[in-house]
Amino acid sequence: MSDLDWAVLVAYLVAVVAFGLWTGRGNRRIEDFFLAGRRMRWWAVGLSVMATQISAITFIGTTGQAYTDGMRFLVFYFGLPFAMVILCVTLVPFFYRAQVFTAYEYLERRFDARTRTLTSLLFLLSRGLSVGVTLYTQTLVLSVILGWSEPATILLMGGSTILYVVYGGNKSVIWTDVAQMAIIWMGILLCFGIAVTQLPAGFGLRDALALAQTSGRLRVMDTSPSLTTPYTLWSGLIGGLFLMLSYFGCDQSQVQRYLSGSSLTQSRLSLLFNAFLKVPMQFLILLTGVLVFVFYHFHAPPLLWNPVEMKKLERHAPASELDGVRRSFAAALEERRTAAQSYARTRDAADADAYVRANAAVDAARKQAIGLLGAVEGPRPPRHGLVEWLMSVLNIKPGGYSDTNYIFPSYILAHLPRGLAGLVIAVIFAAAMSTLSGEFNSLATATMVDFYKRFVTRSASDERELLISRVLTAFWGGFACLVALRAGQLGSAIEVVNRFGSYFYGSILGVFLLAVLTPRASARGAFYGLMIGMASVFAVSRWTGIHFLWFNVVGAVAVFVSGLAITALSADPPPARSSEARAA
Amino acid sequence: MGSDDEPVPIFGSWPRIYLAVIVSALAVMALVALFAVFPY
Repeated sequence: MSDLDWAVLVAYLVAVVAFGLWTGRGNRRIEDFFLAGRRMRWWAVGLSVMATQISAITFIGTTGQAYTDGMRFLVFYFGLPFAMVILCVTLVPFFYRAQVFTAYEYLERRFDARTRTLTSLLFLLSRGLSVGVTLYTQTLVLSVILGWSEPATILLMGGSTILYVVYGGNKSVIWTDVAQMAIIWMGILLCFGIAVTQLPAGFGLRDALALAQTSGRLRVMDTSPSLTTPYTLWSGLIGGLFLMLSYFGCDQSQVQRYLSGSSLTQSRLSLLFNAFLKVPMQFLILLTGVLVFVFYHFHAPPLLWNPVEMKKLERHAPASELDGVRRSFAAALEERRTAAQSYARTRDAADADAYVRANAAVDAARKQAIGLLGAVEGPRPPRHGLVEWLMSVLNIKPGGYSDTNYIFPSYILAHLPRGLAGLVIAVIFAAAMSTLSGEFNSLATATMVDFYKRFVTRSASDERELLISRVLTAFWGGFACLVALRAGQLGSAIEVVNRFGSYFYGSILGVFLLAVLTPRASARGAFYGLMIGMASVFAVSRWTGIHFLWFNVVGAVAVFVSGLAITALSADPPPARSSEARAA
Repeated sequence: MGSDDEPVPIFGSWPRIYLAVIVSALAVMALVALFAVFPY
C-alpha cells in the first residue's frame, strides 16, 4: 500500500473509533447500553441490521465466489424479503410488546426457564466461537495480502472495535454501523464503477456480460429439484426463507438491533428496509466479482491468489514442473484473451465454443498448480482427536485448497489507483468491524440478561449493572481475539465451528414458531421438541447428502410437529401465563 | 417511546407495505432471471 492508502486507512480507523465513543455517551442503565434506550429510528436500525449481516468475508468472499463460480450464490438471499414480512407479522410484535432484552427471555414467559436457558446457551456457544473464527478468517486474508503480522491485524481490528462497544454499547454499535454501511455502499459502487471503467478500449459492458454469460458466470436460476445440489432456486427460496427467519428472528445479534427501535412501527420498518435493499446490494457485489473475472481476461492473474501458498510452491516445487505449469497457464491465458476478443467482435457460436475451451484450459492449468501444491505439502497425517471424531460424526468433509477470498483484495491492491485502494481496504475493515461490534454487544446482553440477572442477582444498582455489562462486553471481545489468535492451530476445528450453528438454528426457530403460532403448545412440548429437532438435523446431515440450506427447514418442522405431538400426548395444560405472554 | 400505531410512511398501511415488499422481491427475481439470459 502507498502512503496515501495508509493515510486513508488510519483516518478511517481513528474516525470510526472517535465517532463510536462520541455517539455512545450518556448510558445510565442497561436499557441504554444494550437497547440504545429503545429510541432509535428505523433507518438507523435498518442500516445496522444490514451492517451486522455483511461481514468482510461476505464482501470479499462473494466477489471471489462470483469470479470462480458465478452469481448463483444470489439465491441464498431470495428468501430474505419474505422472511422479513413473516417476522413483522409474527415474532417482532411479540418481542416488542413483551419489552424483552433478548429473544430467549420471551421463551421463559411463554414456556419455562429451561427452554430459555438452553436456547440462550446454544446462542452463546455457537456465536461465541464463531465470532473468533470470523475475526481470524477476515484478518488472515488481510494479513496475507497486505503482508501484516497476523496477531497485529487481529488486535488492531478486534481491539478498536472492543474500545467503542465497551464504552458506548448498542448506541455506538448502531451509529458506527450507519457510518460503516455508508462507507460499504460507497465502496461497492466505487468498485463496480472502477471495474467497468477498467475494461479495455472498445470492449464495453455489454461485451463483458456476453463473455460472463458464455462462461456460465451469470447463471443464477437453477431450477433443479435436487436437495443435494447447492444454491438451487428452491433451496434459496425455501431453505433461505427458513435460514433468514432463524437468523433475523432468533439470533440475538439481529433481534437486539430491532428491539432498539423507538416503536413497533420503527422496528418493523427497519426489517422491511432490508427486505427492499438486500438482494439488489448482493447483486451488485456479485456482479462486481464477475466484472473482475472479465478484467483478468486482459490482465494476467497470478497462478495462485494466495501469495503465501504461491511462495511455498516456488520454494518447494521442482522448478521444471512449476515452469511447465506456468507455461501452460500463460498459453491458456493468451488463448483465452484472443478468443474473448473474437467472441466479443462476432458473437459467433464457433467463437463462443473456442472461448469456453480456452477458459477451461485456464482452469485446468490452475488445477495443475493446485495439484502441485498438494504434492509439495504431502498428505495430511491421519489424526484421531476430538475434532476428527466430530467431523466424522457430523459428516463434515475437510475443505480442499481454496483461494477465493484472496481474489478481490489482490485485485484492489494491484489495480486500484492510489488512495482508492486504501479506501476499499477501509471498506473491508468497516464490514468486519460492523459485524464484530453487533456480536460482542449481543453476546454480552445474553450473558447479562439470561444468566447473570436470571441466576446471580436480579436487583443491582444501575451503575453496577452497567459496569458488569461493560466487563462482559470486554470479556467477549477478548475471547474472540483469543480464539482468533489460536485459530491458526485449530485446523479442521474451524470447519466444525463454521457448521456448528446450522445444526440447531432451524430447531430454535421451531420453538419460537410454537410459542407464537400455537396457544396450546406446552413447555414440555417445546423443550423436548427442541431436542427432537436437533436430533433430526443431526440424522439428516449424518446420513443424507442434503445441502445445509435445508437443515433449517428440517429442524423447524421437526420441532413444530413433535412439540405439538408431545403437548397433545402429555395432556399438560398450557401454562396459565402463556396466553398473557402471547398477547404481551 | 413512540406508540404502536404510528402512521406507516409512504404506503399508508401495513398490508400495503407488505404487498410492496413481496411484489418488489418477485420483480427483482424476474429481472435477475432476465439479466441471466438476456442476449447481450
